[in-house]
Amino acid sequence: MRELLGRIAALDPEAGAAVRVIAYFDELTGTGTEPVVRGAAFLTGVPAGLTDHARGLALRVSPDGGVERGVPGPDPSWCSVRVGGAVLWLELAGEPGPVAAMVLERAAAVLRARLEPTLPMAGGRAALAEALVDPHLSEEQRARAARRYGIVPGSLARAVALHGGGIRVVAAADRLGAERAGVGPAVEALALPSSWADARRALRFTAEGTRLDPGPRVVLAEELGGLLLLADAVRPGTPPVADVVALERVARDAAPLLVALEAVASSPSLRAAAVRAGVHHSTLQESVGRAERVLGWPVREVSGRLRLQVALALRRLHRHP
Amino acid sequence: MTVPARPPFDPELAAALTLLGDAVPTQITPEMLPAIRAQRAELQLDPGDLTLGGAYTETEHHAPGHDGAEVPLLLWRPTAPTAPAGVLYWIHGGGMIMGTHRGPELPDLLETARELGLALVSVDYRLAPEHPHPAPVEDCYAGLAWVVKNAADLGLDPGRVVVGGASAGGGLAAATALLARDRGGPALLGQLLLYPMLDDRNDTVSARQMTGVGVWDSVANATGWGALLGDAAGGPDVSPYAAPARAEDLSGLPPAFLDVGSAETFRDEVVDYASRIWKAGGSAELHVWPGGFHAFDSLAPQAAISRDAAAQRLPWLRRVIGA
Repeated sequence: MRELLGRIAALDPEAGAAVRVIAYFDELTGTGTEPVVRGAAFLTGVPAGLTDHARGLALRVSPDGGVERGVPGPDPSWCSVRVGGAVLWLELAGEPGPVAAMVLERAAAVLRARLEPTLPMAGGRAALAEALVDPHLSEEQRARAARRYGIVPGSLARAVALHGGGIRVVAAADRLGAERAGVGPAVEALALPSSWADARRALRFTAEGTRLDPGPRVVLAEELGGLLLLADAVRPGTPPVADVVALERVARDAAPLLVALEAVASSPSLRAAAVRAGVHHSTLQESVGRAERVLGWPVREVSGRLRLQVALALRRLHRHP
Repeated sequence: MTVPARPPFDPELAAALTLLGDAVPTQITPEMLPAIRAQRAELQLDPGDLTLGGAYTETEHHAPGHDGAEVPLLLWRPTAPTAPAGVLYWIHGGGMIMGTHRGPELPDLLETARELGLALVSVDYRLAPEHPHPAPVEDCYAGLAWVVKNAADLGLDPGRVVVGGASAGGGLAAATALLARDRGGPALLGQLLLYPMLDDRNDTVSARQMTGVGVWDSVANATGWGALLGDAAGGPDVSPYAAPARAEDLSGLPPAFLDVGSAETFRDEVVDYASRIWKAGGSAELHVWPGGFHAFDSLAPQAAISRDAAAQRLPWLRRVIGA
């Protein structure tokens, strides 16, 4: 009966071949790549192949179902279709006929579902985290990555942007470490790309937390409130406002004064600021007085304090464009 | 009515089923038989030239049947033999009610024969319901007996003969082996039973659970057995030469090769037949292919599982026939 099936498969396009091609490939949804390539060869009567260098896939299937592996890619004259980083081809030169075109399209659709959610093997959790925050991936792919990453469905998670370029995804309840990082808001797994965008903004508000670069090592986007908008206002090449230029002058002339200003800006009182800066409060008083003369505005008054906070934030944004 | 639990079809086979559609109906009733026979004749399944480019020579012969009728046989012999050739005696399938001895499976069988230096015989037995039991099995046996008796004249080796068949042909091959044993007939080296139709009772778990799906369900099976046995089908007095599963004694048979799909009517009767051969002290090789529907290897030969199934037969033949 083998010819019987061959004859049915070879029906002309007017006689419902399209419907049969669709039904055939629908049945292969969820199977491996080889049955799909075999189906393409079988239905068209010419060899079909698939190469995907990233996954080490290279196979060619003849119409009778026989498989060769490790084959080179297609001849440029053959009809082919790209599926992500993979190429599926039929060994047909020139424009495909209606059945071949339909076969390529349906086979590619099944392969797409198969190949695209297959996240890269290398990199492990880092690669999964990258997928979780990638807005260009489909929701289905990100949901799959979330399951593999171990995010409990329905629970909240945060994207964390690490200084130096790393991506981390943590559960909302997880404690944050001391690693310099911007932390995005807690969201459902599928909203992690937006949490990531805010985490990257928040990262720009962080500092080394040293005497030369005082400031918070970890910044939560949600705690920045409206300041987060400043991140988009300061881009590479944006000229610094006068207050930032003044802060740079303080930093250049006397770095310890910057520590004092940072302490004042982030503490409820001068006494608390002195503790934070690790100096006697009279020493702090003196430092702040010197800094105020360089800056040109009183940082210990309410309006001046806000101005100082904004200036310090803007300075960090300029330092981390 | 709830759908019974069933083994799923292999995905590639499920895809092939969508193409088969009405051309291979799941359920065949007696009224459908004329239309199905006509459709198959129209499809012209004749494989054409069967000489493998001249390597084999085809001749037609007629064996005397048990009731005086002539049994047509096609014989393919190596064109340039170096020694008397062993024989693969082939019995085609078709549910006892259809099929031809010049069917589309012959090119592959000839390739297998060439691989082993064998001759191939295909017997044109009479079909039910026009010719009920025992005509089909007696024709098969008569053809075999004639080939063995005339082996020297035909350039064949009467000591190296294997009977084989698929579906109804597998059942007839098993029955022919029983007849050869019980009548002291030709000594056989093996019986190649591809998803054989063995049991007219048609009431196994697999027969029930696969009703209405796949290929050759229990309704079609009832049509086939009804054609062969009439009202006796499924009753108490069915001959083991009609339905080999009815044989009480499966000892003293040649080594058997049996294969079957897990998702077909015949699964349980084939597994049981193999088990009973072992129980009786015989040799059997059994393959159950997961998700295989009836005759999957010939209806969807390109599928990976079909290729794997087909690849098991040659090594077995090589072992039993000593090529």
